[in-house]
Amino acid sequence: MPTITIDGDDYEVEEGQNLLSTCLSLGIDLPYFCWHPAMGSVGACRQCAVIEYKDAEDHRGRLVMSCMTPIKDGGLYSVTAEQAREFRGSIIEDLMTNHPHDCPVCEEGGECHLQDMTEMTGHTNRRYRGTKRTHRNQYLGPFINHEMNRCIACYRCTRFYRDYAGGTDLQALGRNNQVYFGRQQEGVLENGFSGNLVEVCPTGVFTDKTFSKHYVRKWDLQTAPSICEHCAVGCNTAPGAREGWDGKDQMLRRVINLYHREINGYFLCDRGRFGYDYVNCDARLKAVLAARTDTLIESTAARGERIHGEIPPREAVERLAQTLAQAQKGQRRLIGIGSPRASLENNFALRQLVGPDNFYAGLAERDLHLLHLVDAIQRDPRIHSPTTPEIESADAILILGEDISNTAPRVGLAVRQAARNRQRRQARELKIPQWQDASVRQLDGDPSPIAVAGFEDSGLDDIASSRFHGTPEEIAAFGHALAQLIAGKQPAEVSPEYLEMAQQISETLSASERPLVISGCGCRSGEILQAAAQLATALADRNSNPCALYLTCLEVNSLGLAQLCTDGKKALDHLPGALRTEGEAKNPSSVIVLENELCRRVDTATADEIFSLADELIVLDLLHNLTTRRADLVFPAAATVESQGTVINSNGLAQCFYAVYEGPGFIQESWRWLADAAAFCPESNALISTIADWKHCHDLNQAIAEAFPELEVVAELGPDEDFRIDGLEVARQSHRYSGRTAIYADKSVAEHKPVKDPDAPLVFSMEGIQDPDKSPLQANIWSPGWNSNQALHKFLQGIGGKRRCGNGGRKIQRASRSLPDWKPAVQPAGEAEGFLLLPIYRMFGSGELSAMAPAIASVIAQPFVLINRHDAKRLDIDAGDPLEITVGGDRCQLIAEISDSIPFGSLGVPYGFPQVEPLGTEAPARGQLHLLQLETGGDQ
Amino acid sequence: MLTNPLTKNIGPQNTAIDLAGYRAAGGYSGWRKALAGDPGDLVKMVQDAGLRGRGGAGFNTGLKWSFVPRGDDSPSIKYLVCNADEMEPGTFKDRLLMERDPHLLIEGMAIAAYAIEARTAYIFIRGEYHTATARLEKAIAEAREEGLLGENILGTGYSLEIHLHCSAGNYICGEETALLNALEGKRAVPRAKPPFPQVSGLWGKPTVVNNVETFCNIPHLIDLGVDWYKSLGRGEDAGTKLFGVSGKVKNPGTWELPMGTPIREIIEVHAGGMRDGLKLKGFLPGGGSTDFLGPEHLDLPMDYDAIGKSGSRMGTGTIIVLDDKTCPVGLVLNLTQFFARESCGWCTPCRDGLPWAVKILQRIENGEGRLEDIGLLQEQVRYMGPGNTFCALAPGAAEPIQSALKLFEQDFVEHIEKGCCPYL
Repeated sequence: MPTITIDGDDYEVEEGQNLLSTCLSLGIDLPYFCWHPAMGSVGACRQCAVIEYKDAEDHRGRLVMSCMTPIKDGGLYSVTAEQAREFRGSIIEDLMTNHPHDCPVCEEGGECHLQDMTEMTGHTNRRYRGTKRTHRNQYLGPFINHEMNRCIACYRCTRFYRDYAGGTDLQALGRNNQVYFGRQQEGVLENGFSGNLVEVCPTGVFTDKTFSKHYVRKWDLQTAPSICEHCAVGCNTAPGAREGWDGKDQMLRRVINLYHREINGYFLCDRGRFGYDYVNCDARLKAVLAARTDTLIESTAARGERIHGEIPPREAVERLAQTLAQAQKGQRRLIGIGSPRASLENNFALRQLVGPDNFYAGLAERDLHLLHLVDAIQRDPRIHSPTTPEIESADAILILGEDISNTAPRVGLAVRQAARNRQRRQARELKIPQWQDASVRQLDGDPSPIAVAGFEDSGLDDIASSRFHGTPEEIAAFGHALAQLIAGKQPAEVSPEYLEMAQQISETLSASERPLVISGCGCRSGEILQAAAQLATALADRNSNPCALYLTCLEVNSLGLAQLCTDGKKALDHLPGALRTEGEAKNPSSVIVLENELCRRVDTATADEIFSLADELIVLDLLHNLTTRRADLVFPAAATVESQGTVINSNGLAQCFYAVYEGPGFIQESWRWLADAAAFCPESNALISTIADWKHCHDLNQAIAEAFPELEVVAELGPDEDFRIDGLEVARQSHRYSGRTAIYADKSVAEHKPVKDPDAPLVFSMEGIQDPDKSPLQANIWSPGWNSNQALHKFLQGIGGKRRCGNGGRKIQRASRSLPDWKPAVQPAGEAEGFLLLPIYRMFGSGELSAMAPAIASVIAQPFVLINRHDAKRLDIDAGDPLEITVGGDRCQLIAEISDSIPFGSLGVPYGFPQVEPLGTEAPARGQLHLLQLETGGDQ
Repeated sequence: MLTNPLTKNIGPQNTAIDLAGYRAAGGYSGWRKALAGDPGDLVKMVQDAGLRGRGGAGFNTGLKWSFVPRGDDSPSIKYLVCNADEMEPGTFKDRLLMERDPHLLIEGMAIAAYAIEARTAYIFIRGEYHTATARLEKAIAEAREEGLLGENILGTGYSLEIHLHCSAGNYICGEETALLNALEGKRAVPRAKPPFPQVSGLWGKPTVVNNVETFCNIPHLIDLGVDWYKSLGRGEDAGTKLFGVSGKVKNPGTWELPMGTPIREIIEVHAGGMRDGLKLKGFLPGGGSTDFLGPEHLDLPMDYDAIGKSGSRMGTGTIIVLDDKTCPVGLVLNLTQFFARESCGWCTPCRDGLPWAVKILQRIENGEGRLEDIGLLQEQVRYMGPGNTFCALAPGAAEPIQSALKLFEQDFVEHIEKGCCPYL
């Protein structure tokens, strides 16, 4: 390890780094703007200047930019030299000539890197007497505010947006001190990672528009570590909450990134960042509701919908307790429907309550089968589930059938980084340091091989070296052919036109050192998953080394649910049959739906059957939806940010999320409602009293670990609620949290006693441990002098390393099992009727909860149907034509979009979009297309 | 003996010499000679001849070429680029060469491309140089027609294409790495060095960028040899150079003269001396981004090192003369406005420091300055010093300001004390 001297002190430092990141790693404060730990150095801002000395005799030294200076063994540097300090001050003074100094009205204020760096340089006296340049700001969509006058032109925004995230519609325009960072024309930013601009921008040019609507300063936010619930990647987040205006209940204000080296690193997707607002939306359930029978209107009754009225929670709990009691006496059948978006604890609690035989996964059989396939594949010792840094370092990638840009956006961003690995290798050969970003990027643009096979264009097409579009069968056949080629066999079932491509891809994958295969549940095709597994195991066999295979699940706890529900026959499709049998036994049935919207899971007819066959429908959920409308009893369940729980991501990593604030109204965790009911249950037995005794999240974790040995890690994830550091719990509020006595002063001047968190050693107050280095539960990343998120480096093991005191989650320990040899499915002969409907995912619209966040709802596309250009021509369909699709018993109206990539005879239909949910539950399936007649008429 | 290799084909008429005329005057014999030899020898020859880059930095051209990786292991694609984005204030030498003798440039580029084993070359020409563009286009076509460019040149198996690219207009494109970015269709922002373009240049390939005048030195150097070339200079440096004079002299213009010609001779003999009634107060020896020198430096030879030692730079060798009736503050303001406008906006001292300097100078010129503004200005130019900024634009822009503050401090003080420009 090289040794360097900084201001007379010797340090052993990591080789190959630049001086700036070295200084920061060593804890030496050095101001900077353009450098970013994930994006490297470009030397633009000149803020990180230090003095470099030639040798011990050199007392004058030379000013160098530390971000552009490779450290060398024996190097002599000074950060504190007067000349360097003076120069750094001059940079601040230069930057401030046009900065409006509008900190009091700027939303960045209090977490502004520019404020921090200005303070750090110690420059206080601005001598500029001229006018300031002003810019016109742009409308950039519902997520991002634009205030260009604050810009200090560090170029981080365009470097992130274009270079890192592959966006094209934000650029540096103009030159000199008029340089403008914006779009050529006003409009919604197109890239799905635009929200990171808020964190990447060192000042208040790009701020969170959704946060603006209920803005408070960073120091007034209460926060705790959380997990993004909008897909199965498991990104770590730091949501912030603060008392609201009405009723002073805490409300969720925003979500920002919480660094997790193995998953999200420094960046979140826009669905994860802006999807949070569903918890504040009008559809949110905050009270206990019971169906009323007195005021039902006929048409509503005909739809089976109920009119609900609020009832006291006690009454509802007692009703549920009665149901439990009847079930215990064998007079009632209790069915539980779990959910992939509910935590392990909630699913487990319901499963215990109703018994494993009566616990249904809350998924259609097909989706449950896919999850079981994923689980089975991941158990094979030849398969390795890669972390984000591993994905980024892959040197050849095949994406089979999965549109990861939309189903696992953060993984897509990682793939985008992998596309530059040839460039990085070339840089190594030319001895250009990897961190010297612009110099690496100027190298030959020949990207690393990334092959994408999917239903239509993917968000990664711009970096794909080969593309294949086909139906699920064709993609699976292509995957099997690749597997055979890799295994050195002659493929049977690939059409000659694709054979050459298959040969080339298989050669590239075979020759690569770190191949990666990506697939997932989004394609909703078991054949594709099997083909991906065949391919990955073929590569593993060839290399005698496990092959990286990333399989995306669709929801935050999909894989967790699959662990609790291993019986493939416990799917929703089987529930009507089971309920009917029960009906014959003359026992009434109660169905408890846990945080699940059944109309998104199965076709309308099946959902209707479940609703009407159940004698009692009890729903615990976050939002009003089609299922709650049919319920007899509705309990308001806590959202991720309001509760603690465990989820398992696509990689089998169990992670815990913590309550950021107490949910408003009567909201509490679903398992607590169930435990309450057990506590009130007049019939007591061992089971009921065990459930009634659950008081802490930890109790459930223990129970899960006991019941499921493979999930043992769940009990070891985090400190229990009685854990203390120096006798203290961890504070959710910063030590500058304001108004704790004043905020309730209209009611009482006495200071409220903070609510006790029964689940975690975290307090809902400012009195406790504040240091992220002392507690993994600290989500408020802050350090003296570092008020912005840039404080993060203070808590990492080196730049880009792990959190020193981190809680990275634990991998569940699944018994390994080798996969069978899967053969390609035999394709049915003959012409099929109608069109093949293929599920198409969108970052905005396909996610259930995020679609209810107002900002995201405003950018969800109209329900569309992608139709091949030739099919469209044949049927005389133009873009924008209204079409109707019938599939099963459902019919949906959509707008035609012409596609050049969707296969002939197929239609791409949106998955999970509001109003057309049934399409998502059915595709891939055959459906009929009908042209809707435009209303003609008028005066002519 | 040939003493004016750069301008020997340039007559009084504003026309370009065509291929036939150029060949009749011995043109392309350097090219034939080069093609018969080993590329490595050419590099050595140019290096030995001591040809220094005429764009302003004065780096040994052959040495620059020698950094390009050679041999079978080296990248198969290499590029040669001609920097014809002549935008230095007060500089108009490349224009003359391109408009009047375009084949000289083409021949020089062909030899250079052959020497570095490049098969594609670009001329990045200033957008406003319409005449030069048209004449170069014609000349390139002529040379292709005759087999002097294109596939399998003169049966040697060597192929070379020269493409002409018109700049969209930006002073920073004269900075070789910003030029490369612009040529790639990116923002004209300089690149970090290292890596140098010779290792990773255009599209990440080894690339040599030379000035028009540098290339024009090559054909005769190759044709007539190192000794001849060295003998041309009068002082330390080899060869001849186009020197120019602008300002209130009797005969402003540009002339080919031996390196090392004394400044006094250029101004007094070739430019005819100051106009009647005017005295020389100072001069910028090599374009707008060089330090002012005073009358005491008139006897210096125009050699890179000699001018360098005096505290300025020879730059492009085109002298801007300041007389005693022209306001030096106004002159410096004018120059600084240009540089501030042309800053690419990449690094802070240049992007924000130069406009600030303009505002201070404007205030002083308007008679609204304060005495502390002089210190502030001095500080600003110090912060823009070499190494402090990303490229050489701001340090260059700082040179006339910092030297004017030294040489003409009294003028600045007078502006402030009188509350107006004393030259009005």
